Amino acid sequence: MIAAAWIALFAPAAAVVAVALAGTGITRSVAGFLAAGSALVSFIASVVVFAVLLGESPEERTHSSTLWTWLSAGDLKIGAEIQIDPLSVFMMLVVSGVGFLILAYAVGYMNGDAEERRYHAYKALFVFSMLLLVEAGNLVLLLAGWGMVGLSSYLLINFWHQRTTAVAAGKKAFIMNAFGDATFALAIFLLIQRTGSVEFSAVFSSDVVEHGSTAAVLIALGLLGGAVAKSAQVPLHTWLPDAMEGPTPVSALIHAATMVTAGVYLIARTNVLFELAPAIQDLAGILGGVTILLAGLIALVQTDIKRVIAYSTMSQIGYMFVAVGLGAYGSGLFHLMTHAFFKALLFMAAGIVIHALSDEQDIRRMGGLGRAMPFTYRVFVVGALSLAAIPPLSGFFSKDSILGAAANAGTLGWILWTAGAIGAFLTALYTFRLLFIVFWGEMTPFAREHLHLKRFEGGLAMAGPVAILAVLSFLGGWLQVPWGWDLVNEWIDPVAESAAEATGTTLVFSVAASLALAVAGIWLAWRWYGRPSDVPERTRRRLPWAARALEHKFYFDEAYDLAFYEPASRKAVFLTRYVEQPLFLAPLGELGTSVRAASRRLSSLQTGYVREYAFALAAGLAVLAIVFILVT
Amino acid sequence: MGEFIVWVVWVLAALALLSSGIAVVLFQNPFYSALALIGNLASLAVLYLLLAAEFVAAAQVLVYAGAVVVMFLFVIAYLGGRADAPWAGKPSPQSLAAIVAAAAIAVEIVVVIALKAGDQLSTPAQIEDDFGSPAEIGRLFLGDHLLAFEVTSIVLLVAAVGGVILGSAVPRGSRS
Amino acid sequence: MLGPGVAAYLILSVILFATGAFGVLIRRSPLIVLLALEIMLNAGNLALIAFARQTGTGTGQIFALTVMVVAAAEAVVGLGLIVAVSRRHVELDVDKLTTLRG
Repeated sequence: MIAAAWIALFAPAAAVVAVALAGTGITRSVAGFLAAGSALVSFIASVVVFAVLLGESPEERTHSSTLWTWLSAGDLKIGAEIQIDPLSVFMMLVVSGVGFLILAYAVGYMNGDAEERRYHAYKALFVFSMLLLVEAGNLVLLLAGWGMVGLSSYLLINFWHQRTTAVAAGKKAFIMNAFGDATFALAIFLLIQRTGSVEFSAVFSSDVVEHGSTAAVLIALGLLGGAVAKSAQVPLHTWLPDAMEGPTPVSALIHAATMVTAGVYLIARTNVLFELAPAIQDLAGILGGVTILLAGLIALVQTDIKRVIAYSTMSQIGYMFVAVGLGAYGSGLFHLMTHAFFKALLFMAAGIVIHALSDEQDIRRMGGLGRAMPFTYRVFVVGALSLAAIPPLSGFFSKDSILGAAANAGTLGWILWTAGAIGAFLTALYTFRLLFIVFWGEMTPFAREHLHLKRFEGGLAMAGPVAILAVLSFLGGWLQVPWGWDLVNEWIDPVAESAAEATGTTLVFSVAASLALAVAGIWLAWRWYGRPSDVPERTRRRLPWAARALEHKFYFDEAYDLAFYEPASRKAVFLTRYVEQPLFLAPLGELGTSVRAASRRLSSLQTGYVREYAFALAAGLAVLAIVFILVT
Repeated sequence: MGEFIVWVVWVLAALALLSSGIAVVLFQNPFYSALALIGNLASLAVLYLLLAAEFVAAAQVLVYAGAVVVMFLFVIAYLGGRADAPWAGKPSPQSLAAIVAAAAIAVEIVVVIALKAGDQLSTPAQIEDDFGSPAEIGRLFLGDHLLAFEVTSIVLLVAAVGGVILGSAVPRGSRS
Repeated sequence: MLGPGVAAYLILSVILFATGAFGVLIRRSPLIVLLALEIMLNAGNLALIAFARQTGTGTGQIFALTVMVVAAAEAVVGLGLIVAVSRRHVELDVDKLTTLRG
């Protein structure tokens, strides 16, 4: 079983090395098969581990294995250590399973790209990094995986590096993530100071720091900073929409299903530390709530098909943060899983549409595609219904699990419940706005001109995984049913004890209210976008300031530009002109020039006349003789 | 009687040495200079004999006078009329400086040797009969000074290769 | 030792050396310069042999023989250069052969 866990971790790494070393020796498709195949191997290995764990009793489901001592500094020993417990296996299954489907999809999507091999290698690298992150048995190794997924994200966002927008987006993502990495590292340093170790078993004991002490707050804050940056929550969210510059499978895998959920995983994993600083845990929930609303509102006015789905991702992760912020770890992870299913599904279906329209992403140029692309339309409907949390699809069960927990969590819980409920309305609204604009109505002239379809509308490689995800979005929710059973909560319990959910009338109210709001959102979307209507235009004209705020994403980018980029850039210019140039570069230049001048003067001694050289020799000899006499 | 003969030989050899040396330096015609060099080498050989260095004297005549000078003569003959850059014109400041330099060197060396080693030059050491004999030289070359022996062989090899390379390059008739 | 002392030989050697040096400094034909160089080397040899006689060891004679070898080698290379230069129809004048200048 331990071996299976290690195989799951290293299979994608082996694929990266193989693809990198084989270079042009293998065809582009073979590179894709290697990458996807390694993900499949990881998935099978994860299933094996899962099966073995199932056979054990809940108390003994924690194993760890160290390959070698990686770092040794004084008393601190950090090993290459993996931890196999319910939480890590849960994440392994999601990451490798959904990862395999997306990598297989990418073989079709990226087919024909000039640098396709590099793409598949990077994808495999990402899967390896993410698995490292979730399997790590100590915080430093987790941070290593954390950083590496950031790197893979950067590499894949600006995969098409000839596009300046892509390069800028990659840099933005990486820098914002680096901020989170720094706070994460600071938290680790504090923990090392307190416990002298970074292993989970040592660090997650409740007497590590005093409950509510400054140290506890700082540690939790540092961890939260990392989670917020990685998961694109307010205020470190501005990188995620820009990250849509990357190819669609990248958006599906990294910026929907897995990497951005790493923050949720982190909070679940370090729940002991968060519970020692309740204020910070509440803060996590609050940030989640704010993000639900903010992202939901912005998504209402987006015109790029991928950006709508990106803001939707941001919003849904907000739900997960609300869950873990209130201590409902099982619900948060459950939503992570179902979200991975239907969000990847939506992105991949969008990818099929984009491919069919020759890489067009502006929804204003789309329309009426439902009739032309029935398969894609149907799976998109499945995804949209799941996202809007309509039963019996999976999104309903997971979102209501979270709302149920919120309803049972006191005042803050009810505030966050309200945010979640409004969020449900917004989610349904913007999701079905997207669906109606793209798939209903008349085909635009642009679409008519550029539409070209393959077998199964996108080719088997793309349609297959999408179909599988549609099935999972349908069935995946039945793991945790209100008034029934909560398998996910039970599974995660040994690692992260989940707070109890509401029962009885409160639960009925919560479920009914959120469902009603979702249906209302769909109805409103149908009224405004499903049939010809000028209400959206009139609303925009009557509330121009609101429209502008939404279109400018609440001016976050502009604020950050003013607060951070402008001062830094001005400082850099100042330093270059007044410090570096006169103090460092000029003297160096002077040095070079003076040496050159001196050597030129010296070289004039070499006249080329042999007799003059001989003369110099004789004169030198004479002088030396005198010196010899005088000195000795 | 022996002392007297030695003195006569020494004076004659010394005179020949110095005059041939000046001749080498002052003759216009390089052919005459080379011939004067032969005289110089021969008188040197005599002086070596007086200093009980028989082998060196023999080598001097064989190698220097017999090979090196012959090589010079070959080259002079090959170059023909082109080997005579005339005297450096009128007595120029350069020739004056050269005389002064040479004289200064001479005086200084004498002074240095006299000051530093003067008292050690009074009585020469006692020597055996085989001093300077081929056997003694051989013993030294293959004993204490084996390294010098081997290195000189390499030097000769390098010189031979260099000579061949320099001589074999075919000119393209260009004026540089 | 019969005849003049070692000091006389040394004086001879010095005068010969100065003559050779004068020749190197004053002549313009590279061939004559080489000849003058040979004279200087021989003057050095004479001094070495004289000192060998003075101290009674054979090292000076070994040294002199080595100098002879080196002088021969140098003469070979120098003459080769002169021949090569003249083959390219360049004037054999030390004052004109100045392209190796800095």
